[in-house]
Formats: sequence, structure tokens, C-alpha cells
Amino acid sequence: MTDHSLEWLAVIFERDLRILQIYLPIAELSVNLFFLVGIGGAVGFLSGLFGVGGGFLLTPLLIFSGVPTSVAVASVTGQVVAASTSGALSHYRRGGVDLHLAMYLVISGILGAFGGVAAFDLLRDAGQLDFVISIGFLVLLGSVGILMLQESVRALLKHRQGIVVRERLPNQHTWMHGLPMRVRFKKSRLYISVLPVLAIGLFIGFVGSLLGIGGGFIMVPALVYLLRVPGNMVIGTSLAQVVAMMAATTILHAIQSQSVDILLAFSLMVGGTAGAQFGAAAGKHLRGEQLRGLLALLVLAVAIRFGLGLVLTPDDPFSMTVIGGAR
Amino acid sequence: MRRWLAFLVVLLLAATPARAERLISSLSNDTIEITSSFDGERMTFYGSIAPDAGSDQRYVQGPFQVVIAIVGPTQDRVAREKTRILGMWLNTDQVTFKGFPSYLHVLASARLRDITDVTTLTTNKILPEAYALSPNTSGWWQTMVFGRELIRLMSEERLFGVQENGVNFLSDTFYSAQLTLPSNAPPGPYIAQTYVFKNGEIIARKSEGFAVRKIGFERFLAQSATQYPLAYGFACVVLALATGWLGGVLFRR
Repeated sequence: MTDHSLEWLAVIFERDLRILQIYLPIAELSVNLFFLVGIGGAVGFLSGLFGVGGGFLLTPLLIFSGVPTSVAVASVTGQVVAASTSGALSHYRRGGVDLHLAMYLVISGILGAFGGVAAFDLLRDAGQLDFVISIGFLVLLGSVGILMLQESVRALLKHRQGIVVRERLPNQHTWMHGLPMRVRFKKSRLYISVLPVLAIGLFIGFVGSLLGIGGGFIMVPALVYLLRVPGNMVIGTSLAQVVAMMAATTILHAIQSQSVDILLAFSLMVGGTAGAQFGAAAGKHLRGEQLRGLLALLVLAVAIRFGLGLVLTPDDPFSMTVIGGAR
Repeated sequence: MRRWLAFLVVLLLAATPARAERLISSLSNDTIEITSSFDGERMTFYGSIAPDAGSDQRYVQGPFQVVIAIVGPTQDRVAREKTRILGMWLNTDQVTFKGFPSYLHVLASARLRDITDVTTLTTNKILPEAYALSPNTSGWWQTMVFGRELIRLMSEERLFGVQENGVNFLSDTFYSAQLTLPSNAPPGPYIAQTYVFKNGEIIARKSEGFAVRKIGFERFLAQSATQYPLAYGFACVVLALATGWLGGVLFRR
């Protein structure tokens, strides 16, 4: 009896799910809407939980599930804008954004994005885009993951021994701050050279547009450890920078590679913004260093997945793509 | 001289009845429209073999075999091969095939090798392999190796295929064939070439065109993305900002 009723359910479910197949006009393939909103939501949950953009998870997930690499990268760029907007706005209302600093980062970031999008096009035509993206994710996520894991394990051990971890003093200067062209950033209480600021922006703009990530997980440590931006300014400034830079990158991708799929991006945005709220709520039950430890493991897992893809003998050494006009 | 004349007469006599059949054929769809719920589409090819208009023949003598080759819009396609360098796999070799069909399905009423010989199949571009033989700067050996792999990859994507039981004869002269265009069928003009074989020779052929195209919202989006990329990019950004802002407002309050 149960067998029959279940069968009926499966038939109805399958038929109704098939109706939710959505045709992506730029990727030129049809994908299940539930699947897209689902991975958007799952990644949104994690991004809300850990306070990161989630591009570094979403782009690989789309690539692994068959969306062409170029479409995945360009469309996730649009999703990152949506994912960071509400966070940036709420930090701005609380006065947690240093607009002056963000402006320098955005201008250099957009310059970097020009380079990134141009490199993206060259690599795609040369057939090395997937390889460079894999290497890029492996190196970036691998190194950031290891650093984060070290730091959080140390913090967890000290917490267990009952030692209070002292925050680094924000006003300590490094040699970078003494370079020429000093500028005063009032909100961050910094009087430092703009050269390291511009270099960070340039690098993140380049890497972000090439890999389809917001770069928050590189930006935050860079602001904290290299520029010594005070803690209450770091997240807001980084988010504001991500919104502006990724918005510019989306437009650049739309013009240059024409591979931004607005329907794909929108499905991911809807899932992502909803998931992020639940993630943020869930995050309140975990301690900071536990969260960072988990995030580090996640980042490392993605890095290892890319690493294995590079090293393991592929199922099929042959691949094909369309060049010129269509994607 | 008389021997030559006799030979010519024999030739003429032999040539006239060979073209005595014609093909009357049609297909179920002129256009296939890609909408947001596009999940592939089934179409039917059908036709009948009849005596030629000018001949005084009353009926046609079989057995006939029918082969239909459905060819999609051409593209420039690259086949690439990964090799291991310093322990990592990366694309090292590639061959470009210019004007390669984005879709090719061959439907036949019997096994192709029973219908005719390989030369006829190749020169009429019925076999998928015929498209991978085009002259290429990479040299014939590379072209052959990569062409085979490209056809295999296309077959795995369901874009290429040979169905040797794809055409059914409902009577001695009337046939029908069904084809399901997959959801990844590339938009553009398609040509369905129908060949009628008798004793291994092509005795009639006909080609029909149909179009796969995006309509409505999908067409609008795809067109704006290529024709107004700047406006399209801005629209994406505005959509993203609005969604992000709305999400924050809806959930946080």
C-alpha cells in the first residue's frame, strides 16, 4: 500500500519539479530552479554564518555542477553584489564604514578589475581559464585556510587554558605605513601611505574579477594585519568596497565577455539573501574562534577539491569549447 | 562509331528509370521555441516515396531505405587535450574545427553499413566523422585524433548521435521518424536532409529547414546581453543592489 502511494508522490513531485526547470539564456542550458535557489540559499546560510561573501563557495559549486566556467564566474560577480549590499548598508548606518579608505580601495580595485577581466578573456581564448582558476583558488584558499586554521586553533587552545587573548593594537605601525604619499583617514584614525592601500585594492580587484569572488576573506586580514584598521571599521569598509568593486566588475564582464546570466544571478541572489539571514541567526550560537575554525576547514576543503582536480588523472583528458561568437 | 552510339543509347535508357522516384516529405515543426520552461522538444519527420511527376510509372518498386541527417547551426569549436606537466593536468594540445555543426543527428531505417558504402556516407556528409575531416593547420593526424574525440564529446552531450532504427516504414513507401531535440540544442537554423536509398544508391533527396530560437523574455535577455551590454550590465547591478537591500529590509525588521 505504502509503495503505491509513494510512487504516486514521486510522479507528482517529479512532474512538478520538471515544471520548475528554468532555461538560462546566456548559459544556454536548462537547470532546475530549486537547485539554483537551493545552492544560493545554502551558500547564503554559510556566508551569513561566517560573515563572508560566499563567492569563493558559489563559483566552485556552479563549476562543479556543469555551468560553463566563464558564465559561473561572471554571474556570481552579480550575486556577490546582492549578498554584500544589506550588510554594507547596516554597517554604514552604524557608522562602521570608512568611506575615504573605501574610495581608495575601490578606485584601485576597479583598475585591477580591468586587468582581471582582460586576463579572463585572454585565458578563455587560450584554453587555460579553468587551469588558472583552479590554481588561483588552490593557492588563495589553501594559504588563507591554513593561516585561519592556525590562528583559530591557537585561540581555542588558549581559551581552554583560560588565557585571555589580547587584541592586536591597531596603532602599531609597520614599514608599509611609512612609505611616501601619506594620507589621513580620519574615521580609521590612520595616517598612512596610500601605496599599500592601492596595492591591496589592485590585487583584490584583479583576483576577484578573475575568480568571481568578492575577496572579503583576503580584504579583511589585509585591512587588519597590514593596514591596522580598527576592528569596528574592518567589516563595514570591506563590504562597501566589495559592493562597489563587484558592481563595476559585473558591468565589465557584461561588456567584455558577455557571459553574465541575469537569470542565473537572480536565482542565486534570492536564495542567497534569504539564506544569509538564517545563517546570521545561527551564528549567534557559536563562539568567534569556533566560527573561524569551521570557516577555515570549509575554505581548506574547497582548496583541496581544486587541488585534487589538478593532480588526479581526469576522467577524460579531452574537452571542447565553442570559440568566437557564442560562449 | 556505331558502337559508341549504341553505348550512349544504353546509357540514356539506364539513366531515365533511375530517377523515376521522388520524395514527398514534411516535418511537424517549422520553429522550435525556447521559453523559460524549455526542456527539449519532440518533432516528427514523415514522407512518402512516389513515382516522379514526369514518368508514366504507376507505382514504385522497393525496398527503400531512408536516412535523415539533422544538422544544427555551425560554430567554431576547439577540442583540447590535457596532459600531465609537473604533476598537474593542463590543456596542452588543441585543434580548431571551423564551421563544425553544433548539432547532428542521423536517423536511419536500417544499419548504415547495410544501406550503403562508406564513401557515399562520407561524401554526402551523413556520417559525423565527415565533418571532422576538414583541412586543418594542425595536420591530418592530429585532426583525425581530435576529430574523433570531439565527436565522442558531442555524443556524450547528446548533441551528436546516430539512431539506426530511427526511421520506421509504416508501409512500403511511407515512413516516419521521431527526434527529441535536447534542452541544450543550440538556437539557430537547422537543416534536415532526407536521402532515399535503393540498392545502395541515392535515388532521391530533399532538404527542409527549421529554426530553433529563443522567444519572449529569453530572447529579449539574450539580445540585450549582446547588443546593449552596458545597459544589461547596469540592469544586473541595479537588480543585485535592489535584491540585497530588499532582503535586508524584509528579514531584519
